[in-house]
Amino acid sequence: MKTLVIISHPTLDESSSQQFLVQSFPESENVTLHHLEKNYPDEEIDVQKEQALLKNHDRILFQFPFYWYSSPPLLKKWQDEVLEEHFAFGHRGNQLNGKAFGLILVIGVAEKEYQTGGLEGFSISELTKPYQAVARKTGMHYLKPLEIYQFPYMTEEEKMKLLISYQQWLTIDRPDSLKYREEWMIDQLETLDHTLLDSSESSFIIDKAIELLEDNRIELDELNMHIDHLHE
Amino acid sequence: MDEQEWLVSKLKELIENSKDYKQKALLNAVIDMIKEQEKRKEQMQGQLDGTLWSPGNWNQ
Repeated sequence: MKTLVIISHPTLDESSSQQFLVQSFPESENVTLHHLEKNYPDEEIDVQKEQALLKNHDRILFQFPFYWYSSPPLLKKWQDEVLEEHFAFGHRGNQLNGKAFGLILVIGVAEKEYQTGGLEGFSISELTKPYQAVARKTGMHYLKPLEIYQFPYMTEEEKMKLLISYQQWLTIDRPDSLKYREEWMIDQLETLDHTLLDSSESSFIIDKAIELLEDNRIELDELNMHIDHLHE
Repeated sequence: MDEQEWLVSKLKELIENSKDYKQKALLNAVIDMIKEQEKRKEQMQGQLDGTLWSPGNWNQ
């Protein structure tokens, strides 16, 4: 699976949350980071190049700060110009068909305000309807968004969890699934750089951790089988 | 101390000693995942026991 992350932010270098995400970007040839404002400082979008990028990836993610319930202006311009008829929709416009599409939203207001009765009054699912409609019209499967609320107030522990969620969001088919996340985790542990760990027993400990994760998975699958059997 | 507790304490030592932020985050996530698996096992075991002892199944 190849993932394209299209970032739109007018002052990326000054945003601590966006910088954190950029630094967290997974080291994988299957993930492409594409910052619009950096590529197009004059806002003259190369439509052919953008369409080729889209065709070359299976999962398209928009990453942006949620400004007035929408994206920064260059991403809207990008949509207007790149997702054109005969490419994204209309006669023979099936180039995005079957791909996955999702949002990574950096949100300044607390999560609890995005509901009926909250200060914002509407849920994120309601406010992101235009993106869901784009996915629907272009034949893309809309993914559950990764919502990052009030980054500056996050604790160090929450930021570390975010780093891992972000990497998983970009590289795993189903980041919600425990089984998929286990496989991802074992992959990461198997390729860990032990020189940074400063411990003579690190290999032994990491092997033990992989063993435990795998043993637990066998037990979980067995329990699942017994439960299924009872319902037959 | 059982094996899981021992492993978690050893992983915490590695986190303390690691010089790399991404690595610390990963090892913390490993500890969280071990706990998540443990919780899931307990839930499923509970579901299994509950189903086994369901009065509705006694006459089957």
